[in-house]
Amino acid sequence: MGAHPTHGDFVTRSVRAFDKALNRPSKLALRAFEDQLVETDSISLPTPQEAKQIDRADLVIGILTDLDVQAMTALRDALRTLPGSLRIAVVESDDRNHPAAPDSDAPPNSPAVFFVPSPLARPSSAGAGPLSMAEAYHSIFLAGEKLQARGCCIVASKLESATPQRACRLIRPLLEGDVDLVLPHYARHKFEGLLNSSIIAPLTRSLYGKRLSNPMGPDFGVSRRLLQKIVGTGGGRAGGNGLHPLASLAPAALCDNLPITEVHFGGRLYRLPDWTNTSSLLSEVLGPVFLDIERNAAFWQRTRASVAVPAIGEPVGVGEDTARIDTARLLDSFVLGNRELQEIWGLVLPPATLFELRKLARLPREEFRVPDELWVRIVYDFALAHRLRTINRDHLLKSMTPLYLGWVASYAHDLAMDHFIGPDQRLERLALAFEAGKPYFVSRWRWPDRFNP
Amino acid sequence: MWEQVKQALAQSTARFLTKSASLLPGLAALILAVLVSLVVGWILAVVVRRVLASLRFDERMTRWGFASLTDGSVLKSPTLLVARSIFALVILAGFLIGIAAFDFEWTSLLVRSILAYIPNIVGAVLVLLVGTLIARFVARSVLIGAVNLNLQYARLLSEGIKWLVIVLAVAMALEHLRIAPGIVELAFGILFGGIVFGLALAVGLGSKDLVTKSLGRDVKRAPSEEIEDPLRHL
Repeated sequence: MGAHPTHGDFVTRSVRAFDKALNRPSKLALRAFEDQLVETDSISLPTPQEAKQIDRADLVIGILTDLDVQAMTALRDALRTLPGSLRIAVVESDDRNHPAAPDSDAPPNSPAVFFVPSPLARPSSAGAGPLSMAEAYHSIFLAGEKLQARGCCIVASKLESATPQRACRLIRPLLEGDVDLVLPHYARHKFEGLLNSSIIAPLTRSLYGKRLSNPMGPDFGVSRRLLQKIVGTGGGRAGGNGLHPLASLAPAALCDNLPITEVHFGGRLYRLPDWTNTSSLLSEVLGPVFLDIERNAAFWQRTRASVAVPAIGEPVGVGEDTARIDTARLLDSFVLGNRELQEIWGLVLPPATLFELRKLARLPREEFRVPDELWVRIVYDFALAHRLRTINRDHLLKSMTPLYLGWVASYAHDLAMDHFIGPDQRLERLALAFEAGKPYFVSRWRWPDRFNP
Repeated sequence: MWEQVKQALAQSTARFLTKSASLLPGLAALILAVLVSLVVGWILAVVVRRVLASLRFDERMTRWGFASLTDGSVLKSPTLLVARSIFALVILAGFLIGIAAFDFEWTSLLVRSILAYIPNIVGAVLVLLVGTLIARFVARSVLIGAVNLNLQYARLLSEGIKWLVIVLAVAMALEHLRIAPGIVELAFGILFGGIVFGLALAVGLGSKDLVTKSLGRDVKRAPSEEIEDPLRHL
């Protein structure tokens, strides 16, 4: 057996092959990447023949979160337990986290795991917003398509019980069953993922007829068929006119009646919210969601009741949750918005809704409650206004911020005052309200001028 | 002598009548031109009013923030304003054509100078329209951004920005029309600087308590205290 090439040679060949597979000019990526090379002799590298085969892979795993060397080693070991002689490309931005154990320790006939560093798969900063995350997803999807992978898996969040095996749990249904999309079902504390719980999940449920707890991942497994649909339509691009890699994944699968399954995970570790950026978050997340609603109007107008999707694993509890939030700040935002944004809200919301909002703003803080029916009508009216371009779309979505914060305050009050109802029951009630309000949305969608209560 | 007076009178009367008679074709042409322009203007105004009504012009103008342009006029509808403006323009054109028929040098000069001024008017109107649109957009952006930052003086900031842009647009339009450019320049500088200075005083000094309260709402705790906020949106 000849001498193994150095780490630098392997990485150089990998990047060249990867860039060639992506039809990208290699000089720029190579120069940027060579600046990051770390000389180490502790990694046993594949032969040049194996490195050339990196143009194809059975599975592509995109790592969009920070995993240390131990976690990456555990991930590689977990991937080696998958059945079959698979070629698995793990796309990760920082090669310093790649496992140090030699490949010769791998069991025979186990999957071959290649760690492919790529500066493409890196959100622009540690606190990356949805837009830069969408670009990172796009790069992974493109890699999966170019490498002709059977499936693609994205690991983008850290779990409380750090389980590198979650990539396997997302992949197994793709390999073993006829499933095209595997979504996570996280164990949530009561004040986590509220934008998803208050708008995205119930909206997806009522419009598309499937009860998905996290339609926008961020971790998920995607089959080749769905990947081609997302990438092939010129999509996977953040923003622009194509399908959004995060927001469009579940609707694209639902509209084509592709099988979807959920996998139970533990709780996620969330980044601290940037309070000055809540409006931008709403705009960047809800914009693609509302665009998808417009794109898929012919489908969701025909769906009726919602059904649950199959789930793998047992639900994980989060234990006692005694968290409380300061609703004063949220209510201040709602009251200020109600006072100053009436002119803008008046272009979107019917007079009856505006009247109810004015009544709410005059309530004492401890009595502040946003009825589910009112919140549902507000979300539907904003979705309609987004389609009609009543005002500039960015202005529209950002002006929704005080209303959303008002709902969060109301939700907190509900949980604090009613000790018999948990967050899951409370959110289930909201989801049912979304389904009950769908006829209102369909009527307004079809006759935006005539039907205006 | 009486014969000479009678002759002079007859000659001057004949000259006057000849001159007046030479004006008659021009006068007839002017009256005809005005009458024709009245009819054409009325037809055009009706057509324009119907077309704009079918396009829901009033509603769109309100949405784009131009409804306030008709606030000071008798006509409350932008559609009526446009229709009546077109009617007036057609009559003015007819009048100018009729005036040009008199074939006097001063009438030709008048018509030529009016026609040469029309591009300036068009340019000024365009500048005003674009300026108003931009002012409206910027004001709305500032208002939404300031409300989302919990700034209590959001409305003041938004109106200030809007009037800054409008004053700029009006000054540019007046310069385009070449109306007292020196005075307009000076007045603009004073007004613009005054608005900016006033805003700065209002925000920095006059509203400092409001600013402190607004900023203080987001910075309630000392940096040394670590209180975990459990709220996560995504």
